Amino acid sequence: MSRTGKKALIVGAGPAGIEAALKIGRAGYEVMLVEKETTPGGYLNKLCSTFPRWEDPQNLLQVKLEQLRAIPDIKLLTGSSVVSARRTERGFFVELAGDSSTRDTGIEVAAVVLATGFDYYDVRRYGEYGYGVYPGVMSAPEFEARLKEWKNEPEQIEPPGAVAFIKCVGSRDRAKGYPYCSSICCMYTAKQAALVKEIFPRTACYVFYMDVRAAGSGYEEFVRSTIEDKRVRYVRGRPAKVLPEGGRLQIRVEDTLMGTPVEIEVDMVVLAGAVVPREETVRLAGLFEAHIDRYGFLASEPGQPVQAGERVFFAGGCGFPVSIKGAQEQGAAAAAEVIALFNQPG
Amino acid sequence: MPIRIGESSSSLQERVEEACSVDLSQCYECGKCSGGCSTTHLMDYTPRKIIQLIKLGYCDILYNSDALWLCVGCHLCVDRCPAQIDIPRIVDYLREQAYQQGIKPTREQVVTFNALMLGSVFKRGRVSEATLMLQFNLRTRRYFKDAQLGTKMLVKGKVNPFVPGVKGTRELRRLFRGKPAGKER
Repeated sequence: MSRTGKKALIVGAGPAGIEAALKIGRAGYEVMLVEKETTPGGYLNKLCSTFPRWEDPQNLLQVKLEQLRAIPDIKLLTGSSVVSARRTERGFFVELAGDSSTRDTGIEVAAVVLATGFDYYDVRRYGEYGYGVYPGVMSAPEFEARLKEWKNEPEQIEPPGAVAFIKCVGSRDRAKGYPYCSSICCMYTAKQAALVKEIFPRTACYVFYMDVRAAGSGYEEFVRSTIEDKRVRYVRGRPAKVLPEGGRLQIRVEDTLMGTPVEIEVDMVVLAGAVVPREETVRLAGLFEAHIDRYGFLASEPGQPVQAGERVFFAGGCGFPVSIKGAQEQGAAAAAEVIALFNQPG
Repeated sequence: MPIRIGESSSSLQERVEEACSVDLSQCYECGKCSGGCSTTHLMDYTPRKIIQLIKLGYCDILYNSDALWLCVGCHLCVDRCPAQIDIPRIVDYLREQAYQQGIKPTREQVVTFNALMLGSVFKRGRVSEATLMLQFNLRTRRYFKDAQLGTKMLVKGKVNPFVPGVKGTRELRRLFRGKPAGKER
């Protein structure tokens, strides 16, 4: 079916990898889409909703998976990962493992797209916020799962009196985390806070921020609507401590607009952990001789925004924190690079 | 009254940075120091504001501020600070500067306590809490302040009125450059 027999390997079937696969497949080339989890979709499987358009992540995913299935040149391999890769004259010889049917089988690929995604910062390292000590303190992905439950059966749940969101946990922190701005946390936090108000309008929501970074199409409007329409309270200041207080949780913070210490009592504290690089990405970068930056994100070559090495491209959160739409854009860009490469004669 | 900023404003920041081995340009202005501070509710300027006043070069406000003398040096601020700025060291430096310039501290007792404590170290090489508290209360004319608590602690063996001195007194005094504390001027 394919014109040249050239095959692309895509590692990671999240929004970025799926998009790259679709584009390369539609161009008439063979695609091996490898996913280490048993189901494709990455974080789309875990999200309750999206910013800034309130899409249903499952709906987004199912549409894409249907499109994938319609292209016979795309082979999706779940529960599998790359165990070895050797550079050859025209690409890589790659061994995959995990799925029993392909155990110990090697394939020859002419290009690789790494779309291995990201991890969330381990919020345990912020002892002052009491994660793992106080049951009401949870990470943002854990809270997202909670929101999914709440959304499905709101009448089964006793609504919390107040929920606090602490941003920049692990990002913009030279002492305990990473110095970079993790870019998506301002938006996903606004989304989570707005969702709480959507499900339980009487629950008070506080978002603690240093800055609100909403640079994107529709982002500022999204955050403003969280504040103005959903009535989420934004407090400027980075909380210093979460303490148990009469069965609830007390947050100590300086309101930096007033310059006054403030104490706020809530029932739940959500820690907006930074997007951090995966060890798996670093391992694969080693196998495929791809550049990584000082943190472990894949790094682009000058003038080649989605290329990390010869015949190695990347897309999505394995390069730097990015939105779902951004990951799809990068997936499409990586696909364009692969197609352009494959279209060259020889 | 607006704070006037000129080219000379940055010289205080430079002096503080050099003397305290800190880089104030790393401050995120997040206020986590002040949220964590154990005495912030008493202060006229929170730790974040102290850093900002240094950046603005406003010595007068800083040297005359109450916060300078209320900081207990508990280090919660630097422990919380995402840029690890050593604020207690900075506060110490500002106190030294204010003291050297003969500016009357808002909390005279802090200076008294400091002098008594260092005097005790100068004399014996360590601090005897019981003696120090007694001296401090006498000096500040609060004769019965800790009488009850002090007695209780004495009975329970929490404080020892007869603390022996250290051996290397001479070496120790060399740290003071031969002069007891408070006599440097």
